[in-house]
Amino acid sequence: MVTRLASPDRATHENGAVPPCLLFYMKDVMIDSQTQTESEAILAVLIVQTLNLDVRPGDIDPMIPLYGEGLGLDSIDMLEVALVVSQQFGVKLRADDKNNRAIFSSLRSLNEHIQAHRGP
Amino acid sequence: MTIKTPTQEWITRRERGSLNLLTHSVQIALWMGRPVSRILLYPICLYFLISSPAATRSSYQYLARVLGRPPRVRDVFRHFLTFASCVLDRVFLLNERCDEYDIHVQGEDIVREIAETGGGCILVGAHFGSFEVTRAIGRQQPDVQISLLMYEENAKKIRAALAAINPRLETEVIGLGPLDSLITVAERLFAGHFIGVLADRSVNGKNLAQYNFLGSMAAFPTGPFKIAMLLHAPVVLMIGVYRGGRRYDVIFERIAKPAPSERHDGALWMDRTMRQYVDRLEHYCRDAPFNWFNFFNFWD
Repeated sequence: MVTRLASPDRATHENGAVPPCLLFYMKDVMIDSQTQTESEAILAVLIVQTLNLDVRPGDIDPMIPLYGEGLGLDSIDMLEVALVVSQQFGVKLRADDKNNRAIFSSLRSLNEHIQAHRGP
Repeated sequence: MTIKTPTQEWITRRERGSLNLLTHSVQIALWMGRPVSRILLYPICLYFLISSPAATRSSYQYLARVLGRPPRVRDVFRHFLTFASCVLDRVFLLNERCDEYDIHVQGEDIVREIAETGGGCILVGAHFGSFEVTRAIGRQQPDVQISLLMYEENAKKIRAALAAINPRLETEVIGLGPLDSLITVAERLFAGHFIGVLADRSVNGKNLAQYNFLGSMAAFPTGPFKIAMLLHAPVVLMIGVYRGGRRYDVIFERIAKPAPSERHDGALWMDRTMRQYVDRLEHYCRDAPFNWFNFFNFWD
């Protein structure tokens, strides 16, 4: 988890250990990045309800991948998510969008995409 | 950058090798023509009968169910021969030699009706008879566009194989691998495409539902029907039955109207649609028993 959140070549000493002075900083970053924002929480509820997932919406780490490993969604789930997002937010997810991988990579990135493209 | 392991390289080489073999066999078959090529099918099937005990056993099991009597060796041979004939005919059909065949189409009006509404549909097929003959018919109808949905691994092989069989042929194959592959399906469907999918076999063994099929329960993948449900698409059965000689019957049958928009009715709609699909598949198995091409223990 630590290595993914903080770039390893910056956060580690030459000998590979994390310098103590950075530990506090990284703890803050981790807590921050794992907490859902308000709009992320709304999206999480929508996804869990739509797919009947066996997790509490608030427990979804906004940074973990939605597809495959991570939340474990398959391509039919992704279709359902795309459909409900277009229905609820009027944001059409398109197959020819080269950024789909990035958009669907986590709750956070999907939410960012929705917030950037939704109508007023 | 990807580093190729020796195994990967070996697989690539082997695939290239089998594609070369395929290209050559196709050219030989086209050069010899259908009657001469067909003669070769007899020793090939005999060889398979002797060398593939697993396929032979599953053929026995299936034929015992569908024929309602203990099958004889000649039945199994005929089963293999029907399969080999369909595979061989695929070569000729893909090379646009449809006129050599006597193809009868049933339920063309269903296709025309759906094409006129412009909404597309899900065409559910099976490993039964000739899929190729149905596509040959599809190609003769310029206003109907068909995309095939299949597992990514198979999609890659099929694309390569089709290119080897007839390089001029453009095929719309959607691989079920990338996370947005079904968004592609949705877009094509809304643009009026017919989405073809074989709905009798699951590759990953996930998302299955049990239905009574030829006397006992068998697992069928729910995926194709769930896609149809989510996209509110009508479901049409598409089957190409080989009747022997040069005769094929292409059959289109309406399996289900679009799913209702209320979500809670979705599961009911899916169950009813799958049951109807399995029932009709069973009907055609009884009608043309040797067209069933799942050579593994389907009821396991």
